[in-house]
Amino acid sequence: MASYSSLQSLHESLPPFSPLIPTSLIPIIAWSLLLSSFGLGFYFTTLPKQSVPVTELLIAIVASILGGFGTVAMFCTVGVYL
Amino acid sequence: MGLIHWLLAAALTAHSAQCASTSMRSFENTNVQRTIELGGSLTHVTTTFAIKALGELGPNVYTLALSELDEEKTALMDVKLKGSKETLKLEKFGFNQKSNAYLYSVELPPMAEDATATIVVNSILSHASTPFPESIKQADPQLLKFSTEAYILSPYRTLSERTKIRAPSPKVTSFSAPAELSKYAGTTADSVATRSGAVITYGPFQDLPPTTGLPFQRENQKLLTVHYEYDSPIISVVSLDRSAEISHWGDNLNIQDSVHIRNDGPQLKGHFSRLELQQSRYFNKPSTQVLTHLTLQLPAGIHKPYYYDSIGNVTTSRYRQTPKPKSNTKRSSAASSFMEIRPRYPLLGGWNYTYTLGWDAPLGDSATFDKKTGKYVVGVPFMTPVPGAAVDQATFTFVLPEGAENVHVEPPFPVDAMSKYTHITYLDTIGRPAVVLRSSSLTDQHTGMVYVTYTVPVKAHLAKPLTVSTAMFGFFLLAMLFRRVDMRIGTAKTAKKH
Repeated sequence: MASYSSLQSLHESLPPFSPLIPTSLIPIIAWSLLLSSFGLGFYFTTLPKQSVPVTELLIAIVASILGGFGTVAMFCTVGVYL
Repeated sequence: MGLIHWLLAAALTAHSAQCASTSMRSFENTNVQRTIELGGSLTHVTTTFAIKALGELGPNVYTLALSELDEEKTALMDVKLKGSKETLKLEKFGFNQKSNAYLYSVELPPMAEDATATIVVNSILSHASTPFPESIKQADPQLLKFSTEAYILSPYRTLSERTKIRAPSPKVTSFSAPAELSKYAGTTADSVATRSGAVITYGPFQDLPPTTGLPFQRENQKLLTVHYEYDSPIISVVSLDRSAEISHWGDNLNIQDSVHIRNDGPQLKGHFSRLELQQSRYFNKPSTQVLTHLTLQLPAGIHKPYYYDSIGNVTTSRYRQTPKPKSNTKRSSAASSFMEIRPRYPLLGGWNYTYTLGWDAPLGDSATFDKKTGKYVVGVPFMTPVPGAAVDQATFTFVLPEGAENVHVEPPFPVDAMSKYTHITYLDTIGRPAVVLRSSSLTDQHTGMVYVTYTVPVKAHLAKPLTVSTAMFGFFLLAMLFRRVDMRIGTAKTAKKH
């Protein structure tokens, strides 16, 4: 099986997989992102009402993105590798 | 003449178009040696054919024949030239009526007329030995019976052949020595079969005609039976389901095996007495038929192995981790972690046990990345073998990251079926592509790596965090809406009226 042996040699010659974010940093990132996301969420509830809710939307977007990445990192920290 | 007629008949009934057109080369077996290593659920058969090419040049295709008894039990068969590490190409032709055997063709390197070569056929039979007596008491020894044909099947003339059957211990209860074998033995009927310790030798047999074909088989072929004692529990894996899941965010490869094992020894006669089992261990005379533990070699550098069954976590296990060697140049390292698992209860003859064993390993140990093509190449062993066990059914599922494209799978050996499906797990939106390989009748040698290649676009990597972000943002929008909408049943003005 030519394709199998060529794939085998390819696999042995290529550099190993390395993640975008190093594994050791993941728990720190998880906790910090989630805590900041919750903090921003709390701050969101204290914002005054505006006719054009610019600040509220901005805070909501930032909190959501931080929360999204924080949740994925938290899943990985506890052992549920997504 | 009969040989040429048979060869033409074999060529015509063959499936491949090549053989049907050209004439076959004829060979002669100058010496054939068959060594059978008896075991529990697996039996090793090594047949060495010293062949001589006859006649003119032609396609160098040597034909092997297997009886029905061997064909249904053969789980692994490979052919090599003696001294060479490369396996020769083996093609299966199925059952041939005229030869009354299953035929295989081996492609040999070019041979001149009267040139000689030595081919080594290595095959492993599964479930070839059956327990006899079929039921024994707990403390009795377990005896197995093995049967094989006396004369080695071959469509060519054989000048000399011999069969050696090696039992695992010198405790051989009996072995058959049919007097009819003296026809080709060239000696008296007494010395057709000789035994020395654990080895029983049949032959040598001289000047055999082609042993395929119904007339010869009816007249001369005899069944040899060896009745021997086997000192270890006979394990067979009824089904093995391996699932490998890749996570890029967590840099992790999770491998999980769901195994159903069975003790294929003689059935238990009477009741199981745990007192007797404990006493036998105390007095250092353990029952050889009872399966109490399995020793597995897991890959080095794994962490968090888990072992549970349908009742829950099984704590009776021992694990000794071997860290992954520092140098990454040799990916296939010899070091392996040691895992000894004890089923929840000892397995006696005919008893089954199902368990799940899994572990996490860093993805870098198995996966590689090609920056130029953006391709990931992952290699995972097809199974972790249970030493000496025949595997009846095996399934291998590869779950790839969400959004993986250009998926290509290369199994180490031909599998029965390959299918794809979408696996849905935590935080998935479109689901993950998963490939399922199914195979049956495997041995503990089928541990080759399954290679998978795939590419993942950058946006697929971001799908998970953005999904969670979108959900959170939705909640924030709801919060903004509820702030601005008055949900009270009555207003302050209407409350004042009353």
